[in-house]
Amino acid sequence: MTRSVMWQLVLKDLYLVRWMLAGSLAAGAVAVATLPMGSVAAYVGGVSLICVLIIFNIFLVMGSVAQERKDKVLLFVLSLPISTTQYIVAKVIANATAFLTVWLALAVATVVTIDVTAIPNGLLPFWIAVLAYILGYFGVLLAVALATDSTGWQATTITIGNVSLNFLIPYLLSRPSVIAHRDSATAVWTGDILAIVAIELVIGIAALASAVYARSRTGDFV
Amino acid sequence: MSDLVIDVAGVSKTYRFFRLTDVDLRLEAGQILGFVGPNGAGKTTTIRILMGMLRADRGSVRVLGHAMPKAQAIAKADIGFVSEDLRLHAAATLGWHIRLVAAIYPSWDAAYAATLLSRFNLHPEQPIKALSHGERVKAALLLVLARRPRLLLLDEPTTGLDPVARHEILGELMDVVRDERRAILFSSHNTQDVEQISDQITFIDRGRIIDASDKETFLDRWRRLQFDVPAGMSVPALPGAVSSATSGRVVVVTTKAYGPELEAAVQRAGLAVREVQRMTLEEIFVANVMSTRHEEAR
Repeated sequence: MTRSVMWQLVLKDLYLVRWMLAGSLAAGAVAVATLPMGSVAAYVGGVSLICVLIIFNIFLVMGSVAQERKDKVLLFVLSLPISTTQYIVAKVIANATAFLTVWLALAVATVVTIDVTAIPNGLLPFWIAVLAYILGYFGVLLAVALATDSTGWQATTITIGNVSLNFLIPYLLSRPSVIAHRDSATAVWTGDILAIVAIELVIGIAALASAVYARSRTGDFV
Repeated sequence: MSDLVIDVAGVSKTYRFFRLTDVDLRLEAGQILGFVGPNGAGKTTTIRILMGMLRADRGSVRVLGHAMPKAQAIAKADIGFVSEDLRLHAAATLGWHIRLVAAIYPSWDAAYAATLLSRFNLHPEQPIKALSHGERVKAALLLVLARRPRLLLLDEPTTGLDPVARHEILGELMDVVRDERRAILFSSHNTQDVEQISDQITFIDRGRIIDASDKETFLDRWRRLQFDVPAGMSVPALPGAVSSATSGRVVVVTTKAYGPELEAAVQRAGLAVREVQRMTLEEIFVANVMSTRHEEAR
């Protein structure tokens, strides 16, 4: 019974974010479609794509984890026949499914758009590194929201996550490997870019795994 | 086989500014336990420990035969929990919540849910955010009652409700325990509600259980006695006396041990009893709390 309850909770969360998910997909699709329309449009489209993913990340996590706790809906959910660990796992699955749906769709759309239009494929590693950062950011924010009730820590994570992007993008664009290949017709995957992508993903996964482990061991859940 | 649905022994839980100390609690099938205490007494903490939402630092907690919080997922399949501060998803409708809960519980009784909808004047298409406080409590109760749980844990469900809504909810709860396999733990600081529906009563104050008994025993053994005491005479220590107040020649003694032994002591002391008053549960509760606090202060 408890396994099916967990899936019911996953479906519940997905149902509750369905409009947010659809809206983010639509807004992201418009942003990606703007990318090949000239240099100014590419800039606007790129910034819009990043904004869509970050805003979706924040609204998704804060709405389904932090707000649920703040509004005392958590009491209702925890009154259902599941353990606290199953509740956490259900939250991770639901949030990851929702976020990855939008992230993957927009990442694939970005790659295809760059590949089939006049945008140099040499920019692909840069874009993948930026998108991987947002994925890692999602993992960290979800971890913080699951691990702590503190809105202060959640706000701090959001601030750091958003501001760090302002350092990451210039850093990536200043990498010799990116400068050397950004205008190439083919993508060149150098070791430094692959390492950055790997670090971003590992940070997100490690943060999430730590939060799930720590929260599962906490006896007090409300 | 034990018929205990709640079996709590020696449970303690410490917070920075509050401590639940050595709580013992037992409830049998077919009974309604009124769990009465002032605000901040430890009722909510105790109930959340019973639900597995909090882990006790010490002691044993068994609910429906399951150790908590370890077996909470199994135990909660047969527990219905409603608390005054529990909220449903504001953006969803009551009908959506009904479908969610019905999909989780095979025991969901759709006909009973429909009866409750009509009795509580609720509509499935209503969004939760459009419901009043009373309607939200009724909606939460509907979601719990229609799955026919063996145990209801209700944490101040009638707080903030108008008298009519309270009457409707208490009536529904009385119906639930007509089935002798079911039991209810009902916490409140409203002694009127507790007196109306409970057959067992436990008082809690400042994290400690201060008294527990069946309702009739409480009402039978607590009395307020008025004596006419001539000048120069005093009232000796009487069995179970918890407080004494003097107004002119009238002395009022509150006792928690009214019975033949006390009557004999009164006769021996040659006291003239002016009146023996029965006490309401609220008066018993207040006297009980105050006398315990005085004893602790000594």
